[in-house]
Amino acid sequence: MRRFKFILPFSAAALALAVVAAASARPERTASTAASTKISCTAPMKIGFATPVTGGAGFLGTEQVSWAKYAVKTLAPRLGLKVTLVVGDTPVEQGPAVAQSVAQKFIADPRVVGIIGPSTSGAVAASSAAYFKAGLAHISPSATRTSLTQGGQKEATPAFFRVVPGDYIQGPSDASYMVTKLKVKKVVVMDFQEPYSQGLADAVERTLKAKNVSVTRLSAPNTTTDYSSYVTRVPGDADIVFFPTQKPGDAQTFARQLVEQGKKAKVFGGDGSNNPAQFNTPGAYVSNFAPDITGIPADKALIAGWKKDNPGKAVGSFGPPTYGAVQVLLNAVKLACTQGKGSLPNRRAVVRNVKRVRVANWILGGTFRWSTKSNDPLNAKFYIFQIQSNGSYKLVG
Amino acid sequence: MDKFVALTVDGLTLGSVYALIALGYSLVYGVLKLLNFAHGDVFMVGSYIGFGMLNALGGATDLAVPLWSALILITLAAMAGCALLGVVIERFAYRPLRDAPRIAPLISALGVSFFLAYSMQLLFGAQYRDYNLFAVPGNPLFLKGFHIGNVNVSLVRIIIVSSAFALMVVLWYLVNRTRTGKAMRATSFDREAAAMMGIDIDRVIVFTFVLGSALAGAAGVLFAIRVPTQVSLGFIAGLKGFTAAVIGGIGSVPGAMIGGLILGFAESYSAGYIDAIHIGGFRIWPEASGTRWTDLVIFVLLIAFMIFRPQGLLGRPDIKKV
Repeated sequence: MRRFKFILPFSAAALALAVVAAASARPERTASTAASTKISCTAPMKIGFATPVTGGAGFLGTEQVSWAKYAVKTLAPRLGLKVTLVVGDTPVEQGPAVAQSVAQKFIADPRVVGIIGPSTSGAVAASSAAYFKAGLAHISPSATRTSLTQGGQKEATPAFFRVVPGDYIQGPSDASYMVTKLKVKKVVVMDFQEPYSQGLADAVERTLKAKNVSVTRLSAPNTTTDYSSYVTRVPGDADIVFFPTQKPGDAQTFARQLVEQGKKAKVFGGDGSNNPAQFNTPGAYVSNFAPDITGIPADKALIAGWKKDNPGKAVGSFGPPTYGAVQVLLNAVKLACTQGKGSLPNRRAVVRNVKRVRVANWILGGTFRWSTKSNDPLNAKFYIFQIQSNGSYKLVG
Repeated sequence: MDKFVALTVDGLTLGSVYALIALGYSLVYGVLKLLNFAHGDVFMVGSYIGFGMLNALGGATDLAVPLWSALILITLAAMAGCALLGVVIERFAYRPLRDAPRIAPLISALGVSFFLAYSMQLLFGAQYRDYNLFAVPGNPLFLKGFHIGNVNVSLVRIIIVSSAFALMVVLWYLVNRTRTGKAMRATSFDREAAAMMGIDIDRVIVFTFVLGSALAGAAGVLFAIRVPTQVSLGFIAGLKGFTAAVIGGIGSVPGAMIGGLILGFAESYSAGYIDAIHIGGFRIWPEASGTRWTDLVIFVLLIAFMIFRPQGLLGRPDIKKV
């Protein structure tokens, strides 16, 4: 009887251990199986899209998904592909863990041939290694952190690509604009204790200091909603507060609280704050990696088609690069299919073909080409907008 | 000196809102010994009700009623809506588990919290909802007020602090000077004995939820008239309200008020004053100086109280009969 008392809990523990071991082994086996699976190009395929559709940056993902869906709907049939878009939500407030779990979900599905995104730099850093190991090309329409593709220790892998320029362009570009056009003497630079804003804030601070501008650096937790105490620390004679948030509502709050406390400084937001519906304080500045495509004649039909699918919605500036990213990925799949004579030998075939893609009549204007030195676009630039009294964004730089 | 004054005003504004949230936690815990983790999300729902009501009145730039009337109406609407929500939550999520082990209603509370947050997201989406009172013609709420030195104490802050204090006074009166309040206090002291004395416990508990949720609704509006709201707000607000309730003494109404104010000041002063920490000429934090210690300070405060004074400032020590 005494022996039996020990056998039962011991067996239960052993069984539990075995289940855990089997469960943790399964993704690896599934991942490696999925990575090497041959895929017929006439069979239905999937594209995964890792983007925040909920949380403070949910506006970005929602806009991007609408353009990604439109791109898949219109471009895939033209290339003779049957593709479905699968979205994985990566709210910025939940940190890197959610990006990793979304990545595992996509990796385990053998029908997923490529990834759009992740949309945010933190999510890329968290999941690129997993995608690379699984042989999945991941093309981001909005992750701009410099260290993803530049520097000695890149945070992303060779399977990561982006169709927008990095912060190594945005930071110096924004800082140069402040110095040359706005003639700033004193700037406050903020970050939000997460990778995107810290990288951009560092780049701007470096450039400003090199041009002898006085810089005060502040840092707020990413979960801050009331910035009053931080506004208190903004010197009364500061010209600009560089505010690289990924939540435009926060930029709006900060700008208003500056006015409330009688500070003269204007907010200068990065691409993460680009949203006329949520950040529209007159006089503030916003930089972004895409121009307003409604001013590009070649995009007229494309915009009309998108609007038909998305009635009442504004074009935005995060969506068009997403269309471009899907266009690049689908063309890479097509090239790999042609090489494989109607089938993809494995997912890595798509990775090998991404940089062969060149797009004339690129949605953001001109021709899209890859840089030969990195997985970034060639000759990309950032655009600077000033918010007008009616809340609209006017291109100023 | 201006900086200190400005941070004190910030702390008072924040602390008033936290105090209202903490009161709800304390009221429910005092009567039911239940940590209502859905309370933060009730606060969030209140802010959305206020947003909806403001839009129904024409929106900030085209109000159908005077601004003051609009503010009162949206606050009352949020309080009424959240009070009703509190009744529903109590009836379906907590009452059936009243005699269950304490972990059961706690888990139910967490479930209600997630249910509220994700339901609101499904209904209203993830984007911020802005009352946009900044755009009211003339911008009276943010530009008018009075000055202490060079510090502008705006009208909106005066409204928030005075409304919160007024509500706390009303609550104090209800709890200490009315029959129902007496019944609440008796129930919190000993539920069985209160029942034996003829007090309708169910009614008292429902009333407690009505009160606590109404305060959360009011707090939601008072918060959102300055800062845009969104569905993820409830979690952080609830956490801070809970922290304030613990600091003040969970179960104690005056304790919740004091705890809220302490938390508001702690958040404000730490954001305003704490930079990189130097010891003996060495900077022990590797990052550039910055205002990054706010959340750390708040939760260190919580842990310190849990260790050294678990009953909080004004709470009763938990004495067990042996």
